[in-house]
Amino acid sequence: MLAIRNLSKSYRYADARQSVLEQLDFDMVASSSVALLGESGSGKSTLLHLIAGLDHADQGEIHFDGHAIHAARESELAALRRSRLSLVFQQFHLISTLTVLDNIRFQAALCRRLDPAYESELIERLGLGDQTGKYPQQLSRGQQQRVAIARALLHKPLLVLADEPTGNLDESSSIEVMGLFSELVKRAGSSLLMVTHSRSMADFLDRRVYLHNGKLTESE
Amino acid sequence: MNSGFCWVMKALLSHYWRHPWQTLFLTIGLVAGVALWSAVQIINQHARDSYQEAQNLLGAQAQYWIRNRRDQGIETSVYVELRRAGFRQVFPLVELEVSTAAGVSIKIIATDLLALPDDAFASDEVNEDFADSWLKFVQPPYRAWVPRVLARELDLAAGEQLELRDGRKLPPALIQAREQQGRRVLVDIAAALELSASERLSYLAVGRITANEFIRLQKILPGHLELIENQQHLDLRELTQSLHSHLSAMSLLSFAVGLFIVFNAVRFSLWYRRGTLLNLRLMGCDTRVLLLAILMETLLWSVLGTVLGFGAGILLAQALLPGLGASLQSLYDAVVGTDLGLSPWTLLQAWGISLLGLAWALAWPLYRQLPRRGLQAARSDLLLIDESLARRRLALAGALLAVLALLAYAWIETVTQGFVVLGLLLFAAAWVLPILLAGALRLLAWLLPGRLLLARWMVSDGWSQLPALRSAMMALLLALTANLGVGSLVDSFRSAFVGWLEVRQSADIYLRAPQISHAQLLGLADSSQWLAASHHRIGITTRWRERPTQLRGIDPGAPDSLQLPLSSWQGESAAAALQSWREQPAKVLINEQVHFLAGVEIGEQISLQGDNGIQTYEVVGVFYDYGNPYFQFYLPARELASHWRQHYSRGIALWLNPDNPQAFAQAEASLKTLGAQPGDWIAQAQLRKLSVAIFERTFAITAAMNLLTMIVAAIALLASLLAILQERLPQFAQWRALGLRQSEQLLLVATPLLIFCAIVWLLSIPLGAVLSWILIHKLNVISFGWSMPLLWEFTPALQLALVIGLICGLTLLLVAVQWRRQMPQALAQLGETV
Repeated sequence: MLAIRNLSKSYRYADARQSVLEQLDFDMVASSSVALLGESGSGKSTLLHLIAGLDHADQGEIHFDGHAIHAARESELAALRRSRLSLVFQQFHLISTLTVLDNIRFQAALCRRLDPAYESELIERLGLGDQTGKYPQQLSRGQQQRVAIARALLHKPLLVLADEPTGNLDESSSIEVMGLFSELVKRAGSSLLMVTHSRSMADFLDRRVYLHNGKLTESE
Repeated sequence: MNSGFCWVMKALLSHYWRHPWQTLFLTIGLVAGVALWSAVQIINQHARDSYQEAQNLLGAQAQYWIRNRRDQGIETSVYVELRRAGFRQVFPLVELEVSTAAGVSIKIIATDLLALPDDAFASDEVNEDFADSWLKFVQPPYRAWVPRVLARELDLAAGEQLELRDGRKLPPALIQAREQQGRRVLVDIAAALELSASERLSYLAVGRITANEFIRLQKILPGHLELIENQQHLDLRELTQSLHSHLSAMSLLSFAVGLFIVFNAVRFSLWYRRGTLLNLRLMGCDTRVLLLAILMETLLWSVLGTVLGFGAGILLAQALLPGLGASLQSLYDAVVGTDLGLSPWTLLQAWGISLLGLAWALAWPLYRQLPRRGLQAARSDLLLIDESLARRRLALAGALLAVLALLAYAWIETVTQGFVVLGLLLFAAAWVLPILLAGALRLLAWLLPGRLLLARWMVSDGWSQLPALRSAMMALLLALTANLGVGSLVDSFRSAFVGWLEVRQSADIYLRAPQISHAQLLGLADSSQWLAASHHRIGITTRWRERPTQLRGIDPGAPDSLQLPLSSWQGESAAAALQSWREQPAKVLINEQVHFLAGVEIGEQISLQGDNGIQTYEVVGVFYDYGNPYFQFYLPARELASHWRQHYSRGIALWLNPDNPQAFAQAEASLKTLGAQPGDWIAQAQLRKLSVAIFERTFAITAAMNLLTMIVAAIALLASLLAILQERLPQFAQWRALGLRQSEQLLLVATPLLIFCAIVWLLSIPLGAVLSWILIHKLNVISFGWSMPLLWEFTPALQLALVIGLICGLTLLLVAVQWRRQMPQALAQLGETV
């Protein structure tokens, strides 16, 4: 489903270039979940952005669901993000001017995959039943993150890319949200690649990989 | 349109639903800009249509006029003979000016409805009611058709009879909405002749006539009458063009201020929606779909702005039209109806201009935001870099515009070119402003000692406010500059005009009664008791260099001739030039219009077509002639009479004996003895009052637009500050948590605002002076051919400073109220846990 070969990325800071990813290889099969661990600044988020087509690699290839992300045009990347991918961020990225229900439906509506039964199920499972008419800023951060999760899953994407989705939550909420999240991803038949600092969060997923010095290593 | 697109539109537009203040300010900016622009367009278009429609009322149906060469009217017998000779297209006209019991001067026009050409009234008016009122109109006691606006002013109801100063009454009033009638009262010719106590018609009008009939008419016309082609319509267009250009340019300036507000509101809406745009892209929204959505949003706003703005423009035009219409009638004798006729073309133009404005303000920045890849679009540090870059780019563009304005200044030849230069200059100043404000912040930070930490903090907070206040400050600068510049122009004009009136209207009584000759007046047995001096002016109207021109024969020894104010002259002094003009018949004085508009210089020889061929005169002086749209030449009366035998009386000015307290009453009694009617003469005070009233009315539209522009700029300021408050509320909450009091926070917001306002105000003073200078010394001269000294006073600038202070005070008060309302929630969110 996802195959990364020889991927390199560096950034220019002042006059020097700093390498973040160096000839990195990575594979991920369908309906699996992988935790991406690593120190701050190790390039975890960069790798996620490259997979989502939000950034350009210096060299290397990214193949996802038969598409060459590294060579795709912006319109093709947009179509992929809309229908086959989902992104969940620490900052939630909800549309503040739309209601909770509209936010949940948004991406599914964009790719015309609205499913009322599944929508009700997600809302119920995430405990958002009496919050749907509210606006995001009227919710707590934990609730906002649940809205972001519901939005990411309603259209049943092939791959969910999550960047520290519980980073804004306290420990007990994190565990509760993460449990629900991993369960719902499986229920949707999606794969999950999640960046996290937390070993306990990583334990919810099938595999753990560690990014260090621009390369990935499998971790127990 | 698929559902995905609808969802994108919903996400973009939901911003306005959730931020009603921003929506309101964007709407107000757009509506105000379009309203100010379209109001003037509607007025201009309506005035031009009225000039055309004036052709359809009575005499204006005429292809030719028949006038008395000496302006002494036409005997009714001549009219009867012409009709008997088969000229059915000839119809009579009487024009009168009377005073009401309340002292209001009104114009009366009269004709014989039975003699009018068939198409003089539009067919849709021929209904039963019209036929009924038509019959009443021509039969005693007759009817006076009073235009609605005049009836309102005179508080006259239908059926009432308007009482005149001499106690007589007009026929019962029938309130009319006829456009072409303007502010004139229409009565039957028999009623008018009764009123004037004369058997003479003012002139005859000749409808459509064949070439053969024209030759026959010329042959049978008595020698004292002349057949003149009717070119009133052409003349009006030419004479009023400059005024309309002026108004158009002012409306564009107002639109520009409105546009800054739109731009301001749009920047805020963009700032707030950068997250939404990022989300849309993260969720795979195609750039093309986003572009289409932006285009749709622009279209929606343009339609909303046009519909509301045009509606408001109509209301504004209706409010401004009566005053302007009265001025046009007084200055140019142009009849402008008071019921607006709207053209779809004006509406389309309004839509086009709002669409262009929005494309610049909304679509372009949104479009620029799109190509940024993913998360970059939301990075605030990039936006800050953008802000600094934008300031530098604006300053560069502003400097470029200033250079262009300087280069173009030397080439100004038309009103349009003049306003383009003004526009360049104003936009140059507005665009350079942000970098000046940034420079002022740097300078203040450098000047303030390090120990004044709080003061340094307050000044440095300006950096956070500058991006949000930038456009509002530009709008304020434009509004202040326009206010000071145009205000100074009007003050200069008022001062010059009033001073000029004192000299030009120095006589105590002005008599316009063609039936009374100067000799008759001087021959009165008692005239020596009350009359100190008199001046009988004669003249003719002709065309010179393709423009309506008045030749005036004046008495060189009359008191007002001796004091004639000259703007330039030949020789050592104005007195010497006047002396040479008095003594040598081949000398002429010209008005400023001839000097500036036709380019005639002192010492130049000019040729005028007289009865016996070309007459050549040397120009020895140029006199001020405010308010006159015509070219005018002053010749000694004897000289004019000898070469233009068809001259007619232009009235007699009378100076009363200052030692006789009864002089005025005696003069009035004497004039009545000679057969003059009240309304044939006017006292100096009343004439000056009328002249000043015309002046004030003409500039009422300017004052109204200045006021509206200031209001629009004030709204921009308010919108910006409220947006700052909204954006920075979490930050303010953090400071509050650190122990900062509300008063200190308010001071923190107020200090940079006041610094910016002070700089804008200071800058607007020299800019306003430059604007005024160009308006007076370039545009006024090009437009009207009038020059005047620039009068610059500091008081209006101080008054504006007070207005700015009030606006800031009110805005800060609203900010404080908003804080009180929203701060508790912001504080609660500071410590929020899941």
